[in-house]
Amino acid sequence: MRRWLGLGFLVASGLCALAVLAVLSIALAEIIGRGMPALDLAFFTRPSAGAGYEGGVLFEIAGTLILIGTALAASLPLAIGLALAATIYLPRPSLRRTALSALYSANAVPSVLIGIGGFVVFVHGFGWGKSWLGGGLLLGLMILPAEAVALIERIEALPRRYLDAAYGLGLSRGQVARSVVLRQSLGGLFSGALLGLARAAGETAPILFAAAVFSGAGIPRGLKESPVLALPYHIFVLAQDSFSPAGERHLWGAALVLLVLVASLSLIALPARLRAHEESRHG
Amino acid sequence: MSFAAERLAAGAERRGRRPDALRLAAFGFSAIAIAAFAGLIAVFAFEAWPFFRAQGLTGLFGVRWSFRSERFGALPMIYGSLAVSLVAVALAAPIGLGAAVFLSEVLPRRARIAAKVGVELLAGIPSVVYGLLGVLLLRDAVARLLRPFDPISGDTLATGGLLLAVMILPTVVSLGDDALAAVPRGQRQAARALGLGRAETILRAVVPAALPGLGSALLLGLGRALGETIAVFLVIGRQDNQWPERLLALEPLARAGQTVTSKLGGSETFLAYGDPTHWGALLALGLLLLAVVAALSFAGSWVSLRKVPRA
Amino acid sequence: MLRARLGLLLIATLAARSAASAQPLRIVGSTTVNPVVVEAAEILRAEKKATIFVDTQGGSSGGIAALGEGRAEIGMISREVEPDDATKFPKVRFQATRIGIDALALVVSRDVWEGGVHVLSRQQVQGIYEGTVTNWKAVGGPDRRIVFFNKEPGRGTWEAFAKWLYGDPKKAPDVSHPEVGANEEGRNKVASTPGSISQLSAAWADQKTVFAVAIRRLDGKVVAPTLATIADGSYPIARPLQVVTDGPPKGLAKEMVDLLLSQRGQALVEKHGYLKTPTGGTSKK
Repeated sequence: MRRWLGLGFLVASGLCALAVLAVLSIALAEIIGRGMPALDLAFFTRPSAGAGYEGGVLFEIAGTLILIGTALAASLPLAIGLALAATIYLPRPSLRRTALSALYSANAVPSVLIGIGGFVVFVHGFGWGKSWLGGGLLLGLMILPAEAVALIERIEALPRRYLDAAYGLGLSRGQVARSVVLRQSLGGLFSGALLGLARAAGETAPILFAAAVFSGAGIPRGLKESPVLALPYHIFVLAQDSFSPAGERHLWGAALVLLVLVASLSLIALPARLRAHEESRHG
Repeated sequence: MSFAAERLAAGAERRGRRPDALRLAAFGFSAIAIAAFAGLIAVFAFEAWPFFRAQGLTGLFGVRWSFRSERFGALPMIYGSLAVSLVAVALAAPIGLGAAVFLSEVLPRRARIAAKVGVELLAGIPSVVYGLLGVLLLRDAVARLLRPFDPISGDTLATGGLLLAVMILPTVVSLGDDALAAVPRGQRQAARALGLGRAETILRAVVPAALPGLGSALLLGLGRALGETIAVFLVIGRQDNQWPERLLALEPLARAGQTVTSKLGGSETFLAYGDPTHWGALLALGLLLLAVVAALSFAGSWVSLRKVPRA
Repeated sequence: MLRARLGLLLIATLAARSAASAQPLRIVGSTTVNPVVVEAAEILRAEKKATIFVDTQGGSSGGIAALGEGRAEIGMISREVEPDDATKFPKVRFQATRIGIDALALVVSRDVWEGGVHVLSRQQVQGIYEGTVTNWKAVGGPDRRIVFFNKEPGRGTWEAFAKWLYGDPKKAPDVSHPEVGANEEGRNKVASTPGSISQLSAAWADQKTVFAVAIRRLDGKVVAPTLATIADGSYPIARPLQVVTDGPPKGLAKEMVDLLLSQRGQALVEKHGYLKTPTGGTSKK
């Protein structure tokens, strides 16, 4: 009897895993199946036309890349600063739990609130109107906590003997940070940054409020009133429409392009993260 | 872990070595980062103030939202948010945790890695693409599924809940796996030594030890569901003032509704900016959402970060 | 080394000059007016190398708000400017230029149309909106529940609808229905939901996926929304398509407005199924 129940439980959990796999397969099959027909060279190299349904997504891709590049540049120094402060300069074990929980909470802030905050501060407060910099900064703020956490975890995983040896040699904390910690944990920074970029590329709400327009923007010039087009916003606007067959193909093509972009970014970081996960299994 | 080495170095620094530029930079950048988030909260509080002054702290807790008559009762939206999120967790918890158990305890290493790649892929799908899938695939399916409840269309709270369940599945699986994996090998070995079978080991030794971590996986999933905007916006019908006659009934789930996020992400936000009370009401709603999501996430992380006793 | 620096300086000044001379024109507003303006913008961009951004966040009221808050130079609206708009933005002198005429249609889904509902009276529509009429058989259709998708209040289409039913949008009763935003979304929802009806710009009713019903006027006459009946005024729910500026349009905004009023612009208006503005099409451009 025990055996059968036990087996049943294992089978049930296997079915759950199968269910997750099924969901993934259906989702990917739909996106790829519907989007592939739209992808030709012209799709990537021509701007959108005809109220968004025709043409390609050239400037949407460009805009997305500009936004995530800005986000990376803005967030990386801050993430490194936070990680170093938390691990090297102020390592108080009692505060660790609080600090990390705070970072996780910051990571969970709904993106619509970040978007509205940006609307108030950048669009109106600074008078930038819709601007790529405003959008990039907002996205940077959004991905900053995750990057900091990734780096902190990587630093904490450094073998203790590296640090002990360095301090034993008389290095100051700054020297230790520069030559030992940062150098050794670049991998964690790299994967944290890639994951951040992947998330930033797919977000709609912050750029809806502060950076994107639906038509007319190309490569932005200057700072104020310089919006961009972006893949997520493009898809969001078109998703609410009744499709003509050509329009529907275009829409799914854009979705597939976005998915490929996001997947590539997160999959590059994957091997390192999986290795770290496997190493820390089972205590 | 001893911090003696750092303390010694810190002491040496204090005793008159050159100020460390990197230290200044680290603290400076940290201050900027913290200030940015604090600033976000401050902006919301500041902008919501005119509404609180006009209608008090309980202004949001009415049953009718009608901005033209200056009524900002957000209870139906709060109900909507809770309904879709709890449906999502109710669906994702058993499936996600079951899958996590399978991944962590049953699958051999190679297969597990492959499975985790799959989960990562699922986690990475942007919410607007999920929304697209929801609009195209889920709406009709849900309309058919809910026929006994006679729904108007496929845009219902249930559709939103189902879509959110799919979206938080990766979070639950991944964090659940982390929680299970953190249980020391010793626990399993001890259980097997006592004669427990594989499933019993999992159920009686591993899972109980991982329970706090599993709970936090669900809390974090709930927080994610509450904060999701775009996908929910597209499939929920956006009908205001859908206050259910009975709070815990299932029928209201078959109707269109509105969540806090679908309201904030909609076009009313663009209209409201010029009107301090209306704008204030929306931002007060945002503040409420922020507080709830932050609290849930903080609690979830706090629990999962407890020191695991090493056996 | 010096030459490189000078080169960079030259490029920088050129870039700054070209950026300064390209003051962007920002246009926000109604999804009804949008297709016309987007194409006109493409023409202007090609001919004058102008920078023009077009967006439809918030519909007609979003356009007024953008203009009022300084986020746009032109607002697109599918209604008249109202006293409320002036009250909300006292510092702005809203000047509207009519570029076309559109009718507001009540569109129904295929099953309702084929079930026999081809005409509705104002009273019946009011009953449906207020929820006193809940089944199609009460108005000559199949035995099926009526699903009303309401245009977001704030959309010009909704304002025209409320004005027709109640004389003044502010007198519209407080009812809650599932909402749709843009014209595109409304058409999609009605087409895909049996038993549904919504307000939609007449030009968007293709009679293939969604079907515009005729209106039975108070005098008994039944009028379908066609270009002819809109033009001669016999169809009762017409509304202007306008572009709004703060004061008279200047600079690039003026060029856009002029283009919209010209022969080419009015041809675009007609291309998208709307009616030319009575005085439009006279300036040759």
